[in-house]
Amino acid sequence: MSINLTPNSIAAINGGDLNLKPLVQVLDIKQIGTSQERYRLLISDSVSTHHAMLATQLNDRVKTGRVKKGSVVQLIDYMCSDVQNRRIVVVLNMETIVLDCDIIGNPKLGDMTAQKTVSNLNSAQPGRSVYDNRGNMQSFRPAFNAQNPGSNNMQGLQTNPLLQSQGMQGSHPMLMVPNGSNGVLRSATGKNNNNTQTYAPTVQPPYQPPPSYRNQGPIMKNEAPARVIPISALNPYQGRWAIKARVTAKGDLRRYNNAKGDGKVFSFDLLDSDGGEIRATCFNAVVDRFYDVIEVGRVYLISKGGLKPAQKNFNHLKNEWEIFLEAASTVDLCPEEDGGSIPQQQFDFKPISEIESAENNSILDIIGIVISVNPSVPILRKNGMETQRRTVGMKDSSGKSVELTLWGDFCNKEGQNLQELVDSEMFPVLAVKTGKVSDFTGKSVGTISSTQLFINPDIPEAHVLSDWFARIGQNSAAVSISRDLVPSGSKNEIRKTVSQIKEEGLGRSDKPDWVTVKATITYFKLDSFCYPACPLMIGDRQCNKKATRSGTRWVCDRCSQEFDECDYRYLLQFQIQDHTGLAWVTAFQESGEEIMGYPAKEVYQLKHEAQDEARLSDVFRSRVFYPYLFRLKIKEEMYADETKVKITVVRADKIDYSSETRHMLDTISRFRRY
Amino acid sequence: MSFLCRFFVSEIMDTSNPAILVNGNLLPMHVRKRVRTVIQVLNSERGSVIGKSTDDQQLVIKGSPPSTPLTNFVEVIGIADSDKSIQAEIWTNFGDNFDASSFNQLCQLANAEYQHLFL
Repeated sequence: MSINLTPNSIAAINGGDLNLKPLVQVLDIKQIGTSQERYRLLISDSVSTHHAMLATQLNDRVKTGRVKKGSVVQLIDYMCSDVQNRRIVVVLNMETIVLDCDIIGNPKLGDMTAQKTVSNLNSAQPGRSVYDNRGNMQSFRPAFNAQNPGSNNMQGLQTNPLLQSQGMQGSHPMLMVPNGSNGVLRSATGKNNNNTQTYAPTVQPPYQPPPSYRNQGPIMKNEAPARVIPISALNPYQGRWAIKARVTAKGDLRRYNNAKGDGKVFSFDLLDSDGGEIRATCFNAVVDRFYDVIEVGRVYLISKGGLKPAQKNFNHLKNEWEIFLEAASTVDLCPEEDGGSIPQQQFDFKPISEIESAENNSILDIIGIVISVNPSVPILRKNGMETQRRTVGMKDSSGKSVELTLWGDFCNKEGQNLQELVDSEMFPVLAVKTGKVSDFTGKSVGTISSTQLFINPDIPEAHVLSDWFARIGQNSAAVSISRDLVPSGSKNEIRKTVSQIKEEGLGRSDKPDWVTVKATITYFKLDSFCYPACPLMIGDRQCNKKATRSGTRWVCDRCSQEFDECDYRYLLQFQIQDHTGLAWVTAFQESGEEIMGYPAKEVYQLKHEAQDEARLSDVFRSRVFYPYLFRLKIKEEMYADETKVKITVVRADKIDYSSETRHMLDTISRFRRY
Repeated sequence: MSFLCRFFVSEIMDTSNPAILVNGNLLPMHVRKRVRTVIQVLNSERGSVIGKSTDDQQLVIKGSPPSTPLTNFVEVIGIADSDKSIQAEIWTNFGDNFDASSFNQLCQLANAEYQHLFL
């Protein structure tokens, strides 16, 4: 079967006809662009050819093979612009009509300047089928063009002179025969060539108000309102555009000072009915115009803004562009019923179990039940400013729990709210939008300036979660992916023997391994079991960096201060053994004190001041051959070209024989199967 | 302290005269043999002590307990003279806290698949 492409459409497009929606054939697809993926098509109307750029939102059509070389496509939405004396055509939306097709006609390569007018094209098109804007087949309704100005699909229609001229009104019933493989309708009005199926579908163009020109003079400006397009179609090459979207977030008004002087800026995030999101920013005078107009939750019609690449460091929305509003930009509040189809917020929740494998510093949304809230702690930041920090424990139906760190204002506002709810045992649902993953201790999530917290939001995910919690969740244990210390009584830790550390190559991956080992201390390294530590406080923690002697005093590099007395902290190195093997480990202050039973300072004084060697060795000897349940952190580290597996004792617990026995009985029952 | 520690610390293990670890249910299988068990003292009189075994059976321990007062849990080693009584030779105080269920499981393991480790 032969297909007719829209004749002379290349010329028409170049001549500025953006409403043609022609059928063209893709002769070639080439990927260009180094940093960004962009595809360039060579399109043909069977006589001439032209290059057209594919808008990036259509990239996956090429990647998934929905458009190939030889495909016949209908260009639904496209733009023409002159850049550096060249005419660039950008395809914003298209539908593949035939995937595989031999080259139609005898196209010549080379740009064409528009000569033919639109009307010539119309008369050359026999028969038509009707598609709505999404390329879905619609049955022909004879009176559709006049009667349904406001329907969503058609976006209002203008009287189609083409149809009228062919007399396709009510008196001519069209016999529509859907063709199974191609979904194209064949008109029975007899204007077709009987030998070929005419593929000339058209889509009623979206409502384009007739251009209204003011100032009848040499310069005329088309002042008609631009048409509303989806946010996902926005790009800098777009001509006139308008979007209708709901404000999902409004940033603070920020003042700044740079080489040009003082300035102010604020941003807000927009969401439309297709789920597209984009950030809009205003500077200086524009801030004054719109700062009070923009309210979170309301719907606005925005037009005549500029588009520039999104700043990925601050803008975590899924859009490569951001809008910057200027003097000519318009922002109009829409009545609420207009925005009925636009959701209040868009989330992309990840289950807590997936956070474990998330990359450090990645951004995500989570939702969970808050089971614990810790009090606020003042923290000294690197820039010297003090802020508040508060941790909140959350769990979800994945069986995992995570620590959420609230910073700054979140501590007092949402943090306080959460505290009260948890204290009164009404464990709330918390949705976090734009949280940042941190791998400081295990994996946790922290708030950033653009984070939004929603307590008990009225969304389906929240209802499902509180339902789960009431039935199962509140009584089930969750494994924490955040804290490295396992709460006592919970047997979620991994048990290993000493020999398994080496056998299984623990610590060799890029993350440390945390295991529990029951073993006995067999030997202490007596040489340097502690170090002088800086006692000064940084926020709520002691500095603890190694201090160096400065005359009769001590000095700390990090704090850049001197002090008379230093603290002594354990840096114990000892050997542990079990029935399988032995290993060297290091214990720091907390576990050191647990093992030695004396503060490091006392033992230090025994060695260096009292010089009591006998007593010193007695102390150590008395601590040897005690078994402990060691919680170990195993990690491979580089030491001057050599990698060594370092084992750190995070915790040393005296054996609780009862629970240890139960553990052993459990282990025995499991290998009984042999 | 664990009963296992006591096993080694409080006596030199005499393999020539081993005592079988029993609870209330296992005692009948070893009448006239040397047994050992841990009971919770219910009633103590001169000449006999009524105790509860780790599997909730009532046992009579005959003999003279040591002069020191008995703690809540006591281990006795002696000859089983009936289904429900032991003629105790050695009494050891096991304190007031004792994991009875673990001991019970030990008795079961020691009499079943791991018997060879104990006798």
